[in-house]
Amino acid sequence: MTRYIIRRLLYLIPLFLGILIIVFAATRVAGDPVRLMTAMNPHITEEARNNLTAYYGLDKPLWHQFLIYLANLLKGDLGNSYVIRGGIEVTSLIGDYIWPTMLLQIVSIILALLIAIPVGVISARRKYSKTDVTVTTTSLLGTCIPIFYMGIIVILIFAYYLGWFPAGGYVTVISESKDYFLGSRTLDIIWHMVLPVAVLTFALLAPIVLLIRSSMLEVLKQDYVLAARANGLNDRKVVYKHALRNALIPVVTYVGIYFGAMLAGAPITETVFNWPGVGRLFVQATNRLDFPVIMGITVIITLMTLIANLITDLTYGYIDPRIRVE
Amino acid sequence: MNKELLRIEGLKTYFDTWAGIVKAVDGVDIEVIEGETLGLVGESGSGKSVTALSIMRIVPSPGKIIEGKIIYKEENLLEKSEKALREIRGKEIAYIFQDPSTSLNPVLTIADQLLEVILAHQEISKKEALEKAIELLKLVEIPDPDVKIWNYPHQLSGGMKQRIAIARAIASQPNLLLADEPTTNLDVTIQAQILELMQNLRKRLGMAMILITHDMGVVADIADRITVLYAGRVCESADTKTIFYKAKHPYTQALLTAVPSLALRTDKLKVIPGNIPNLIEPPSGCRFHPRCEYAIEKCTEKIPELIEIEPGHKVACFRALEINLESPLGGAKNN
Amino acid sequence: MQKILRELIQEKNKTKGASQWNIAWRRFKKNKTALAGFFIIGIIIFMAAFDSLIAPYGPNTIPGFYSGETRAPPSSKYLFGTDYVGHDVFSQVVYGASSALFVGFAAALIVMLLATVVGVVAGFYGGIVDNILMRITEIFLVIPFLLILLVFLKVITALAPSGGGGLFMVTLMIGIFSWAANARIIRGEVLRVKEQEYIEAATALGATKTRIMIRHILPNVLHVIIVLTTLMIATAILVEAGISFLGFGDPNAITWGQQLQKASEAVKEAWWEGVFPGLFITLLVLGFTLLGNGLRDSLDPRLRE
Repeated sequence: MTRYIIRRLLYLIPLFLGILIIVFAATRVAGDPVRLMTAMNPHITEEARNNLTAYYGLDKPLWHQFLIYLANLLKGDLGNSYVIRGGIEVTSLIGDYIWPTMLLQIVSIILALLIAIPVGVISARRKYSKTDVTVTTTSLLGTCIPIFYMGIIVILIFAYYLGWFPAGGYVTVISESKDYFLGSRTLDIIWHMVLPVAVLTFALLAPIVLLIRSSMLEVLKQDYVLAARANGLNDRKVVYKHALRNALIPVVTYVGIYFGAMLAGAPITETVFNWPGVGRLFVQATNRLDFPVIMGITVIITLMTLIANLITDLTYGYIDPRIRVE
Repeated sequence: MNKELLRIEGLKTYFDTWAGIVKAVDGVDIEVIEGETLGLVGESGSGKSVTALSIMRIVPSPGKIIEGKIIYKEENLLEKSEKALREIRGKEIAYIFQDPSTSLNPVLTIADQLLEVILAHQEISKKEALEKAIELLKLVEIPDPDVKIWNYPHQLSGGMKQRIAIARAIASQPNLLLADEPTTNLDVTIQAQILELMQNLRKRLGMAMILITHDMGVVADIADRITVLYAGRVCESADTKTIFYKAKHPYTQALLTAVPSLALRTDKLKVIPGNIPNLIEPPSGCRFHPRCEYAIEKCTEKIPELIEIEPGHKVACFRALEINLESPLGGAKNN
Repeated sequence: MQKILRELIQEKNKTKGASQWNIAWRRFKKNKTALAGFFIIGIIIFMAAFDSLIAPYGPNTIPGFYSGETRAPPSSKYLFGTDYVGHDVFSQVVYGASSALFVGFAAALIVMLLATVVGVVAGFYGGIVDNILMRITEIFLVIPFLLILLVFLKVITALAPSGGGGLFMVTLMIGIFSWAANARIIRGEVLRVKEQEYIEAATALGATKTRIMIRHILPNVLHVIIVLTTLMIATAILVEAGISFLGFGDPNAITWGQQLQKASEAVKEAWWEGVFPGLFITLLVLGFTLLGNGLRDSLDPRLRE
């Protein structure tokens, strides 16, 4: 098992490097960022431009710039923002914004899995029943509704018409007339989280339910499930011990992919709910061509995705002994 | 002495598929006597596996038992509750599947899979159950049982896996063993070993066994009686000797000539012309008539009943008494 | 057990002498959800084809602006109400159909071309070629692709402030960054087909590799490609909507995503401004998803109950 983990870890390094190169290329595809940012400024002189270019180290060859970036990255230095707060360090900027993102994403994926597994199993066991038809229809719709549209509808109903939850934001800005929800900052954050978490959970849940259902249907037809029943085991054991573990094998990989896609989709979810996470920060940074921040956030999200993938791999190895042992 | 253990009457098991209703088992009658080995023989698709699954009432969806009776020890299993059935599955009647690489759960250890079966039917501690499991592995002649028991199925060879599947089936000393082509997926050299093991265990534990196979050669030495199935119905049923030397049904006859191991003795290997019929719209009348060289008009119109022509010898053929079939093994005349 | 059942059913097909595609077509006709998907797509294609006839107002007219009816609720005059500058929301939704369809079909085409080439070549040649292609595929699989898309699109617009590459550029970018998952599935399918006897026979008879790939492998993975294409169209439409919603779309095109972006600024005051375009995105995506699922069920040679 240890060797398996180490091998998976080593495997991630070239993957990370490859992504880094593409992202770096994306930020440089238009050439010198300084020229790009100052393109609309008619008053800037060529000399000032050159000074800026040299200041940011952009006068060096591309591969050299990339190596410098890599070296700094290893030291934990992601550079400084071009525009935000007088060139704040990207690491400390991300430090401020990453927690709301993680909170939202991790709570949602955990909730999604907790709900999706039993729902998918029940749906498969009662194939074509009313419950199953409801579950599959809802899940299918869930995979078709754009997440921001779902967000807008939920805000419209639960924030504006019913007024149960806030329409957006992370925490109430307290003033003389406004206080935290029930007077507690923690409860206030949870109160703000309800709508975004609900939408994100549903969006993650829908495809996972469909996957678990179809995988379960496949597994329930297998001989070892028949054999378990033929041996007089009760239904609970047959379904949850024999069938579910096998049904989860193909699902695990996809959960990793969905989680990655959801993380990368953070700009959308966070914009809808005005959530102060790295996703919304990314949209702002991109609009202002703040490349160090863009790079920094992409690196962080890539790392999180890779960690999620590693967890997926380990789960895979845990569930399927055929992979673990060889 | 010849006490009846299991009697199936008019069993029908259908599968409702997109293409139509597949009448996999369509009126099957079978008897099993305590302690005997019954060979259930037929081509693939003849309904032998579905019959066995029906006995356990574990026919997978979309299959359903439509009608019939399955009388085990004078009780109709089709009228029993799911809970009462669990007391019978594995404890009274056990099942051995064709392919041990699919019938053992790939994600659980051997110990796990044996223990749960033992604990489901016996009130003993986990420690005792583990000892019992190792005992069982010794019984099915697995070397190093206390090591192998912690393995996963994929770490063992096909023959080993089938031995473990057998150990699991006999864990609670059942009275009836349903063995569904238990050697078909194994190497030829292993096949004989497994069959011998099963036969020994059956005698030692006093079980009855239904041995399902498509190969007359496999049942020749083992079965006490043989029932031949064709397209979901019984063609002929008799003791082994009668089937081999005095078969009255043309299909039984055809099966015998199609067995290489038997044909070797007689150089008469033949292939049965045509395919097993489609079971959604089966042929009218006798289902074998399109492939039968003795078919007359009546065969295309009416379904022949299974009739006892001699004590213990039943045949479903209108012409059973008219036509004179010659056994490929020499037939009744030379015997 | 499943094998037995499959044999029973195949027997029936054999007796009727039906080809694989005939069987698929028969199953497809029986599949209600697939037909529903087909129907939805048909309506929206119709909408796009005759948009100027269906829409009561022109694409660039702002009827509500002059009459002071901005953000006016739905009425007989404005079926879906008007938006912030006075566009008729219904007309805008009708004009948005062609953009959505264009992005869906064009992006899916690019994706499937890339995915098929990578998948078939990797699966067929195996060895080092497979290894290299699959490592590249993995990079594209893990890459946070929406982030990269946004950066590329922004940079391109910054280079040409007049509107960048427009809808085509958005489509191209979606195409370039979404092929990886499909390539992997196609490769898996090719590996499965490669095992089959007739391929070995063709190799033994001395057919060239390219010929085997095009004449033998490709037709046998075609059903998978068709299903993936349909589902990819749905995905591409969703992605374009997301990009437009964030304001990175083509400002000169009328898209449902952009309508939602403008609407999101005032959902409280004018729900109709966003609810209707969103409904149409969902409908179209649903249409392609249903069709894709239906096709998968009818083309999949495995047993369907």
